[in-house]
Amino acid sequence: MVNEQEKVKILMVDDQPAKLLSYEVILKELNEDLLKAHSGKEALDQLLRNDIAVVLMDVSMPELDGFELADMIRQHPRFQKTAIIFISAVHLTDLDQLKAYQRGAVDYISVPIVPELLRAKVTVFADLHRKTRQMEMLNHQLRHLSARLMAAQDEERRRIARELHDSVGQLVATFSMNNGLALMQADKLTPTAGNALRQNTALVQQLSKEIRTISHLLHPPLLDEIGLLPAIKMFADGFAERSSIKVDVDFSPDIDRLTPKVEISIFRIVQECLTNVYRHSESKTASIKIWPSDDKMLSLQVCDQGKGIPSERRVSMSQGKSDGVGLSGMRERVRELGGTLDIHSNGSGTTVLAVIPVTSAETASD
Amino acid sequence: MTQTHTRFLIVDDSELVRQGLRIVLQENPEWEVCGEASNGADAVELFKELHPNFVIVDFQMPGMNGIDTARRLLAVAPAVPIIMFTQHAGNELEKHALEAGIRSVVSKTDSFPIVEIIEALLDPIDRSAVRLQRDI
Repeated sequence: MVNEQEKVKILMVDDQPAKLLSYEVILKELNEDLLKAHSGKEALDQLLRNDIAVVLMDVSMPELDGFELADMIRQHPRFQKTAIIFISAVHLTDLDQLKAYQRGAVDYISVPIVPELLRAKVTVFADLHRKTRQMEMLNHQLRHLSARLMAAQDEERRRIARELHDSVGQLVATFSMNNGLALMQADKLTPTAGNALRQNTALVQQLSKEIRTISHLLHPPLLDEIGLLPAIKMFADGFAERSSIKVDVDFSPDIDRLTPKVEISIFRIVQECLTNVYRHSESKTASIKIWPSDDKMLSLQVCDQGKGIPSERRVSMSQGKSDGVGLSGMRERVRELGGTLDIHSNGSGTTVLAVIPVTSAETASD
Repeated sequence: MTQTHTRFLIVDDSELVRQGLRIVLQENPEWEVCGEASNGADAVELFKELHPNFVIVDFQMPGMNGIDTARRLLAVAPAVPIIMFTQHAGNELEKHALEAGIRSVVSKTDSFPIVEIIEALLDPIDRSAVRLQRDI
């Protein structure tokens, strides 16, 4: 991990070795890594090989001048935000300074150089670069952690669902069978005992159904054994029954088994979407469509015909502000798979579209 | 299938469920449980050895699921009636089970009709009237 003291690289570009030496003397006490380039070409070479925080550049150089070099640097996506400070003794007009800023300079220094001033300016951009790198690294770590948490949560849900099936579920099933046997001879019981037995039978059935629903919501039983589409269909059937929201499913028939990570992610996105339809949309209908966009991409669309996401919430979502745990979770899952997630909503419904790169399980195991 | 004596193979990873089924089946004096297996691979071996004429199989088991187990058994004896007895009964599972050649899917949530379904499957005259148990 980058710490506060980690050195950053400062590239000094000038065709005159004496000037490079003077910059080096001035900047030495900053205790950063100082790199030198005697030409524009050498500077580009250094930029490509190093992570440069600040470029200190002479405007007047033979062959490739500072402005031309800045243009070339900016064309490269990796260097669009690299700080460039121009130094020049000759071009000092406002127009020249404007030209420098238009080429993405962050500052412009004229000669004679005041050492303290140069050090102060370079320090600002060196620190900014260091902090940006730290943020990027923390952000990367956060994403990694979030992906691991989601995978751990999926695994834990799978484990609990399995436990429910293997322990409580089997106990209740046996309980139900025994009750069935007793019911066959219920005529030998007193009316009170017979009623109690019938009531118990109904209660056990209800208990069994509730355990089954919890287990299925935790982890769909068909997902691992039969596949994603039957698992989604089974979930949609159960959802429709519990919520009284009619769910249409439209699956393209030519979808192979996918890797387990992609299958569980798509299942969870559908689950989250339908949960949102139930909780927020007031829609009486929903639809799930899954089709291959091309050889390598799969599209998933979940629509409802409800009241839509409130406009103030849509504004904050479009500004990248918080969009709730559910939607953030979906975004993270899609990002983790390298796909895109788009949400369109208005007064007549919401559509969630996820486009995900896929590898069939068969190809992945080759 | 006119024989009066029916020999059952029960395939379920839960011993409790196997015991429960054994008690239910033995209520009929013409029915006998000839073997029990706790997974699909053992079921295939036992099936070849014991030649049962009816199989009751769970869906979710370690190793091989009930549908794949049924396919393996039907490859050995295509005419043997197999029913699935599971907590996960529903339209989707039933569709895949029937495609594999399983005759009926019975829910462990509501196991009472299992005897009636077995009787219907064993009776060739009533075969067309088999009620497919749905758990909706």
